[in-house]
Amino acid sequence: MALTTLATAMVEPVVTIKLASTSDELLQCYALRAAVFMGEQACPYWEEFDGNDYAASHIIMYVDGEPAGTMRLRWFQSFCKLERCVVLRRYRGLGVHHEINAWAKRFAQRKGYTRVYVHLQKRHLAMMEKEGFRRVDDRIFRFSDHEYYAVYCDLTPADNAVKLDTDPMVVNRPEDRLDETGILEKSVVRGATNPRAPHVARLRN
Amino acid sequence: MVDIPQSIGGEPVTTRLAMKMEDSLQAFAVRAACFIGELDVPYSEEFDGHDFGATHIVAYVGEEPVGAVRMRWFQSFAMPERLAVIQRFRGHNIGQLLLERCRKLAESRGCTTMYVQALPGDVKYWEKLGWRRLVAEEPGAAPKRIVAMVRAVDPNKPLPEVEAPEAVLLRLEPQLDASGLPLGRVSN
Repeated sequence: MALTTLATAMVEPVVTIKLASTSDELLQCYALRAAVFMGEQACPYWEEFDGNDYAASHIIMYVDGEPAGTMRLRWFQSFCKLERCVVLRRYRGLGVHHEINAWAKRFAQRKGYTRVYVHLQKRHLAMMEKEGFRRVDDRIFRFSDHEYYAVYCDLTPADNAVKLDTDPMVVNRPEDRLDETGILEKSVVRGATNPRAPHVARLRN
Repeated sequence: MVDIPQSIGGEPVTTRLAMKMEDSLQAFAVRAACFIGELDVPYSEEFDGHDFGATHIVAYVGEEPVGAVRMRWFQSFAMPERLAVIQRFRGHNIGQLLLERCRKLAESRGCTTMYVQALPGDVKYWEKLGWRRLVAEEPGAAPKRIVAMVRAVDPNKPLPEVEAPEAVLLRLEPQLDASGLPLGRVSN
């Protein structure tokens, strides 16, 4: 029995995915992208770190606690753009990129999006078609030494999507934990003390 | 000594002490590309907790960050480590340029000794560049995984005696949370 458990533990990696929400987690995202795009695909630094990193959401994936994959999401009016998706070489073949994609789609759905959009390297089209992605049109375009298709996937509107009438305190929560009580809700016990109250007095509440 | 490149493909080759977040990110990106991307080093070993107690130097070809090295400072020596040059920019002695910048920085701080931990296969290369083994090689000894090497900051002055047990140097600072990060993996 113990042996079976051990064997299962060895073949079933523990995958954790979250929104990068600290500087360390962001650094992990950047390091993984540098490893894959600069290290493996010889992408120049300034093309990889293109100026959009501070206008985006970043996802970090851990496999058995080790940073293993990442994806960047940018938010437009009619779609969420999934980009800069990598899985570190040693974690490939486990199919974990499907989990990043699925997480990103659910995340976008919860924020009210019904479409995700990807600039896809041509070689990945078959894989992404299986996930429900379709080409936007016939265009093929080229940047950073690869040929790309624009593809999209329509998402089912989520019942719990954030809308104008969503509880304002839910909107305030960390975006990947909208169902958990957030730090600002805990601040409610302090009441509407005014900001001119001495800091110590506010802490005492 | 080796030739230090002035320019590659018409682009000037320069080094810069990392002073801003963006500079540090460039150093981290170069190391991630080389150590994690090429050599398959796990993230938690590459980013080992020493990065925010160290000095980083970045090498550029034009505006492109192409190399990096990290310097840690001890009372009796300065320690360059995590030396990396992006694959397609190798063969131009950019590593030497970075180490020379390390040497000058150490000199400006009054250091007398530089210390590195070299892979056994690289010892001859370091020796050609003026470094020597901290401890003389014993004939018939078991092969080492890491070789401690030293050189004088000022080549005209003799090298003082230094003691540097590498198993300790590679460890995390004691105040750091040990969970999740490997402790003193390398022994001599």
